[in-house]
Amino acid sequence: MKREPMYGIMAEFDSAQALIDAAKRTHEAGYKKIDAYSPFPIEGLAEELGFHRDEVPLVVLIGGIVGGLTGYLMQYWMSAVDYPLNIGGKPYHSWPAFIVITFEMTILFAGISAVFGMLALNGLPMPYHPVFNVPRFALASKDRFFLIVFSSDPKYDPAGTFDFLQALEPRSISEVPS
Amino acid sequence: MSAAATPHLDLTAPEVVKKISQRSLVIGIVFAMIAAILAFLRPDEFYRAYLLGFMCWLGVALGSMAILMIRHLTGGGWGTVIRRILGAAMRTLPLLAALFVPVILGIHRLYIWAQPLGNIEDKHLREHLEKLTQTYLTVNGFIIRAIFYFAVWNLISFLLSKWSKQTDHAGAPDNSERFKAVSGPGLILYGFTISFAAIDWVMSLDPSWISTIFGLVILIGEVLSAMCFAVVVERILYDYKPMSEMLTPDFVHDHGKWMLAFTMVWAYFNFSQWLIIWAGNLPSEITFYLTRLHGGWGSIGLILVLFAFVIPFAMLLSRPFKRDIRRLVWLAAWMLLMRYLDLFWIIEPNFSKTFVLTLADVVVPIAIGGIWLWYFSRNLASLPLLPAYDPDAHEVLQPTHEMHV
Repeated sequence: MKREPMYGIMAEFDSAQALIDAAKRTHEAGYKKIDAYSPFPIEGLAEELGFHRDEVPLVVLIGGIVGGLTGYLMQYWMSAVDYPLNIGGKPYHSWPAFIVITFEMTILFAGISAVFGMLALNGLPMPYHPVFNVPRFALASKDRFFLIVFSSDPKYDPAGTFDFLQALEPRSISEVPS
Repeated sequence: MSAAATPHLDLTAPEVVKKISQRSLVIGIVFAMIAAILAFLRPDEFYRAYLLGFMCWLGVALGSMAILMIRHLTGGGWGTVIRRILGAAMRTLPLLAALFVPVILGIHRLYIWAQPLGNIEDKHLREHLEKLTQTYLTVNGFIIRAIFYFAVWNLISFLLSKWSKQTDHAGAPDNSERFKAVSGPGLILYGFTISFAAIDWVMSLDPSWISTIFGLVILIGEVLSAMCFAVVVERILYDYKPMSEMLTPDFVHDHGKWMLAFTMVWAYFNFSQWLIIWAGNLPSEITFYLTRLHGGWGSIGLILVLFAFVIPFAMLLSRPFKRDIRRLVWLAAWMLLMRYLDLFWIIEPNFSKTFVLTLADVVVPIAIGGIWLWYFSRNLASLPLLPAYDPDAHEVLQPTHEMHV
């Protein structure tokens, strides 16, 4: 992938409300590839950014189903095929006895899928990220709120986007080098 | 999401609550009259249906009390937004105490241990009961214990309601610590009292059968009923102010998560009971399931597995579904019907080896429900839908992010 010299343009805001308003106006202006950073989760921000659902729930669902099937078939194979034991005169294939392990395996596989699916989809661990090239970005984990328009956005244009963000009256505005 | 408008919100319950109250009373009285006729014509069927209906609506009241106590301990906007709905359901406990009287009147028809032991043909059961009826299962003991359970529940309800009412007015004291001081021990007391009540009122219908998890099976059914009931009521109120301003998708999402959790725990307790009895395969224990899996009752059991667990569970996995009150409410209403079916499947097979649904089984629960809903909606209309001067009220009246700044 060709790397753009500029990663994007970032604006800094004082409050959560200012960030929400800015995100809303930026999204409405037609910018699609934008993101926001804040010290705490902000209710409603994801919607204003036009954030779409990710695929993690699907990965977890598939993991859970695979886990459940693995658990059940493993027990069926052990108890009814490979090493049949007569326990209390019950049939070798006694489904009630298999349910607990099936359930546990479902949870285990779903949990592991959630962790690794999330890591695979969000690209973590990520030792280098361009936003840290902006020194003031350290405040994003303290008391400042940041909005970024990525240079990969089709509507991105260095001067025009800069002016647009300037019009949102941010506290500061910076270009983010890749 | 405007913070400025909400503090001036009128928090009184909308007019629709009064309409529900009137209609419920009419339905309650009409069905109660049919029920009264049935009580004369077919007293045996009437009392069985009465116990069923009573347990259904008691479940909503006690479950609401339990969820309210959980809210007082954990906090959270999900609970604040429905606390007055839960509170109104909880404050029906005096009515339910009065509605328990017919169960006592029908004790000889309902409970085999309350009849003269000489009438019992089964020799083993008679010998078993000769000991039990000397100690635990006595008519006086049954009544005294029932008085004790209702006293405990009404005391908890009285204290929580009294302190809650104080926070409707400016200059209200911060009652958070008092709520906590009652709710912690209150939840433990609820766990014990409902277990004993479940043994006395339901399990003792078949005094030869014992399950140590039975109290929990009833308990989780009650909290599930209560959560579903709260979702139905919040949906009705959502068409009107102030609920339309207070109920956000985040809160609905939380209610959906509770429904999922309670549905899973319900299935878990029921499956635990089944697994242990199946594995042990003891003659004295398996009677419960032998009766309930044959003679037509098995189909009801299968309906419960599929439509009270498998399908609701799958639906509740979906995040958009849980966040949408307009869709979630249909599942909540369905689950309330399943609560009825579950209690039906637990109670009625004690009296008949083959499947039977009597007219009373339908009429009496509706009669009790009508009267109960009338009392509930009166309670709901009597207080604002949110205690405006409670320290937690801001969780509902303000968007979350503004609380941090």
